Amino acid sequence: MKSLWQNIFKSKEKSEENILTILRRIPIFQDLSEREVRAIERILHRRHYQEGEVIFRQGDAGVGMYIIEKGVVSIVYEPTDQILAELKEGEFFGELALLDESPRSATAVAASECKMLGFFQPDLFGLIERNPRLGVKIVLKLAQIIGERLKSANEEFQQMKQQLLELQKKLEAEKK
Amino acid sequence: MSRNLKILFGIIVTITVLLFLYSIASLLKILIVAALFAYLLDPLANALESRGMKRSTATGILFAGIIGILAGFILLILPVLSREIQAIQEIMITGQAERMVQEFEQLLSQKLNSLGFQEVNIYEKLQLALASVGNQIFNLLLNAVSLITNLVIIPFIMFFLIKDGREIKKRIISLVPNRYFEFSLNLIYKMDLQLGNYLRGQFLDAMTIGILSIVALWMLDVNYFVLIGAFAGLANLIPYVGPIAGAIPAIVVSIMQVGSFEQVPWIVLAFAIIQLIDNVLVQPLVVAKTVNLHPLIVLLVVIIGGNFFGILGMLLAVPATGVLKVIVQETYLNYRKYRFG
Repeated sequence: MKSLWQNIFKSKEKSEENILTILRRIPIFQDLSEREVRAIERILHRRHYQEGEVIFRQGDAGVGMYIIEKGVVSIVYEPTDQILAELKEGEFFGELALLDESPRSATAVAASECKMLGFFQPDLFGLIERNPRLGVKIVLKLAQIIGERLKSANEEFQQMKQQLLELQKKLEAEKK
Repeated sequence: MSRNLKILFGIIVTITVLLFLYSIASLLKILIVAALFAYLLDPLANALESRGMKRSTATGILFAGIIGILAGFILLILPVLSREIQAIQEIMITGQAERMVQEFEQLLSQKLNSLGFQEVNIYEKLQLALASVGNQIFNLLLNAVSLITNLVIIPFIMFFLIKDGREIKKRIISLVPNRYFEFSLNLIYKMDLQLGNYLRGQFLDAMTIGILSIVALWMLDVNYFVLIGAFAGLANLIPYVGPIAGAIPAIVVSIMQVGSFEQVPWIVLAFAIIQLIDNVLVQPLVVAKTVNLHPLIVLLVVIIGGNFFGILGMLLAVPATGVLKVIVQETYLNYRKYRFG
């Protein structure tokens, strides 16, 4: 009997440790202290998805981000059904929905049986209200991540613009 | 399972749930009251938590504060209130009330004869009204045991709802199937925002008006100022009619007390100033504008509430409709943002 209880508690502790390790790898939570990561862990929603099950649909209002605890998730662009990315354990998606409610830009489907951790906007807002210091840390990190993405998107855009200009020049030269 | 079988199954489950809820109606009432108070007090616990306290400590401090306020209320207001109720009972028993009302009627017919005022037999109507109120109070006292039990159980449930409310909500949401999960989460959040603002606003508004009325009537030396002031605060929940209904008892009591219309202009002025403060200061600050109800709907629900549940029904009809409106509106708006194909 004793060993049964020990096993139950051990497996629970192990799962919690596993979640904390996963959370520490996520850029948004990287700079948080042990206590702060545990506070985040308490507000996360645990969800299970069967293979082929839709996590969210493109066009639906976004509520928050998902972190993959176990399994593989496909990010699919509709209506072409083109797979944009395949994400696995420890990776995350949908973080933009933490900031606004704009429609999801793609559909997320469980490519295998998945265990997910959901971090959602209402819980983030609640956290900001109750623990502003931690809330600001997370929002600041989110802003940094989005800022970096914007920078790299800008660089990509400039490169493409440059390439287009070069192509245009080539075409004009060929015409002449 | 065929479609018809599914519908039949759904109906059976719904009826079973409704029957179950009906059989535990009294427990449900306690739960609703406790949840309502916990809901009103939740932001205070959050505010304490934002100062670095643990949730359990914040809830404990909040409860200590509430117990302090309640003790203050029992020590200061309750003796005045019981004296007022006793005084009303005495004048009803000794027949003093009959004489006073007759004098009041005479006074009205003398002053308002030119307007065609005729005898309306107020005393008889008053007796009928008081008999129904008296019955309600008698029933309440008869249930004194359950009243005391409720007074113990409600704060007990409230404590745990405030302390563990977040975890309970999370557990309930975890039961929602994946397909409707994001929709439900969003819906609950939106409803929570709107309902929280609305209910807290209504509560604060009624309380402010009640306190202002009590102070004003006390300054004007009107008898039963605590009872009338508290009624005015509650009546203020009903838009348009409420403020007038709140002032009428004060005017009637004052005429009976003084024996003339001398105090009436002052009472009217006091209630007008309170209304002004309410409209200019209190309402813009505390009452959510998002739950605007059409005047016609307000009128209808107040009548319906009155028909089914008496005075209490009339007072609670507007907030209850506000709650219903938010639920329907948010469900509809949110539903449009999701595809359940």
